[in-house]
Amino acid sequence: MNIKRRNFLKGIAGAGVGVAASPLLTSKALASEVKKLEANHIGMLYDATKCIGCKSCEVACKKANNMPVEYDAEGIYDAPRDLSKESLNIIKLYKGPEGISFIKRQCMHCVDPSCVSGCPTSALNKTANGIVTYDKDACCGCRYCQMNCPFNIPKFEFDDFYGEIKKCELCRTTNLVENGQPACTEACPTGAVIFGKVTSLLAEAKQRLEIDNKRSANSADKVNYINQVYGEFEGGGTSVLYLSKVPFEKLGLPNLPDYSQASLSEGIQHTLYQGLIAPAVIYAGLAAIAFKNRSGKKED
Amino acid sequence: MEHAKPLGGKIFTPPILFLSALFLISAYFLVLRYMNGIGYVSNLTDNQSWGLWKVVGVLIGAAFVNGGYVTAFFVYIMNKGAYHRFVRQAVLFSLLGYSFAGLSLVYDTGRYINLLNFFIPKYMQPNSALFEVGVCITAYIVVLAIEFLPTLLEKIMPDGKAQELAATLHGFLNKILFLTVAFGVVLPTMHQSGLGQLAMLFGQKLSPLWQTPLISLLYVVSSIFMGFCIVTALECVYTSNFKKKEYVNLLGTMMKVAGYVAILYIILRWIEVVRNGAVGQAFVFDMKANFFWLEWILIIVGLYYVRNEQARTSPKNLFLGASFMMSSGLLYRLNTYIIGYQSVQGQSYFPSFPELMISVGMFALQLVLFITIVKIFPVMEKE
Repeated sequence: MNIKRRNFLKGIAGAGVGVAASPLLTSKALASEVKKLEANHIGMLYDATKCIGCKSCEVACKKANNMPVEYDAEGIYDAPRDLSKESLNIIKLYKGPEGISFIKRQCMHCVDPSCVSGCPTSALNKTANGIVTYDKDACCGCRYCQMNCPFNIPKFEFDDFYGEIKKCELCRTTNLVENGQPACTEACPTGAVIFGKVTSLLAEAKQRLEIDNKRSANSADKVNYINQVYGEFEGGGTSVLYLSKVPFEKLGLPNLPDYSQASLSEGIQHTLYQGLIAPAVIYAGLAAIAFKNRSGKKED
Repeated sequence: MEHAKPLGGKIFTPPILFLSALFLISAYFLVLRYMNGIGYVSNLTDNQSWGLWKVVGVLIGAAFVNGGYVTAFFVYIMNKGAYHRFVRQAVLFSLLGYSFAGLSLVYDTGRYINLLNFFIPKYMQPNSALFEVGVCITAYIVVLAIEFLPTLLEKIMPDGKAQELAATLHGFLNKILFLTVAFGVVLPTMHQSGLGQLAMLFGQKLSPLWQTPLISLLYVVSSIFMGFCIVTALECVYTSNFKKKEYVNLLGTMMKVAGYVAILYIILRWIEVVRNGAVGQAFVFDMKANFFWLEWILIIVGLYYVRNEQARTSPKNLFLGASFMMSSGLLYRLNTYIIGYQSVQGQSYFPSFPELMISVGMFALQLVLFITIVKIFPVMEKE
């Protein structure tokens, strides 16, 4: 009997190591589990080369979502330095060897968001039209979304005795309902940020790249885009797409792999806990051994 | 466990009073935290939103108390009856540790009332490793309480009135102990792997010195050797049984097993560091790299103290070996969540004084409860 028990234990150990090591062997297979962009997903396309930094979108965002005025460290009126619990949308300035560029930051509404995958109490959700939403009644304030968001978007009210997470929800209960598009895209005077179905925005972005690539090097219209639509593949894809002539990483958009972290993590978790079969089998085996040992002679 | 007896003695000794004072300081800061928010007492920010409380309370706390897990496995699954004497104190320490890990969430989370959503079906989110960890820890607290209940009942039984009820319950609990014990092994395995899994979603924000798809396995393996170490270290502190060679041999065997598990852990860790192409980063000798190497120094020193049968006959060696190896495991958890984690460049985090005191005070309260319970209830074997 003892021999059998030892073999069983070896079996458990072997299976455990095998299952845990499987991500290495099946990382390709997991990639097929990545959630895909759907035709009805809505999002935005921001072309940094068209942005003049007027910050109309910031003002419109605050107005539409009823967000408070934010003072900076020097007490300057409503000039936030970064996204915060009071600013869900921001225009930042980049200065470097490539010249200057503005960059608009807000929630990217990822195709397969880490925040949604990690949230223990379903406070963050992805709706049918692709918006990543937040529900304060579900949120326990664990701030795991802040820890795992590759873009550092969710902000928490640390100075409140019962704080909430604040993030862009694409004006889903405000301007999107009233005027059919988010406040920022509606306010933009140059068309630097536009609203639409992600699939058509992607086609538009690619067309802009193609047209620019065909222009001769000394043409006055030549933009010299980086030949990439940021958000097409990054982190498994996002519903907010970017075009720029400055490398995206310099604008603060991280260089991410083409799969979502959520697909990798959930892939492992689903392998281990599919139908709770593995834990149940191990539990039954352990209980049987402990039961047998209960009456049996104890060895040393 | 017929030999287990209350240790007896005075309850309010100077160490207990000192620890209680530490707890009172933390209680003061906790009041401030509930009145003014997390940011008022801590150095947590949007860029480092998990800090000392989460790491000490949940990650390190949960690893620290794995004694209950490994002794249950040793005694009831591997059928090593001689180790039965370690079960009760290990289970008590685990029970307190996990309860305090759960409690730490009540002051660490911003919307603590909604922690109840973990148990409301419409809010449950089984894809989340954090959900799994929360549920497993709660379930394990219940299991540990059941495992510990016979100890409480033994104290009540001689009293006559409660005797009959207690005896029935005691008998029943002993009958189903095999079911409880199996849970006591499965649940910690699941939630230790869950704690590692949490770090996977950090993606590139966690340095490749630590980030790996094997992180959940590494958390399980390290929690096993840490479990043996905590049982050994606690025994060294609490008993005077060292004159008995047989007793030292038992601890020696535990540290021998811990050593082999630790070697397996070292091999797995390094395979992943090499596979990540992160070896170069280890030789940059910045803060991350230095903490990375500190992990290895601690575990190698620990292994050196318990290197062979001869070395393991000395209680001092056993204690030092266990302490060093345990420190390495604790540092691994600190590194994966704070030192190796970076969401923006130039980010740095160090806990504030109130933040530190809250963690210290809660740990002090835990020790007070442990010491008091072993004085009143039959937990330890006494010569």
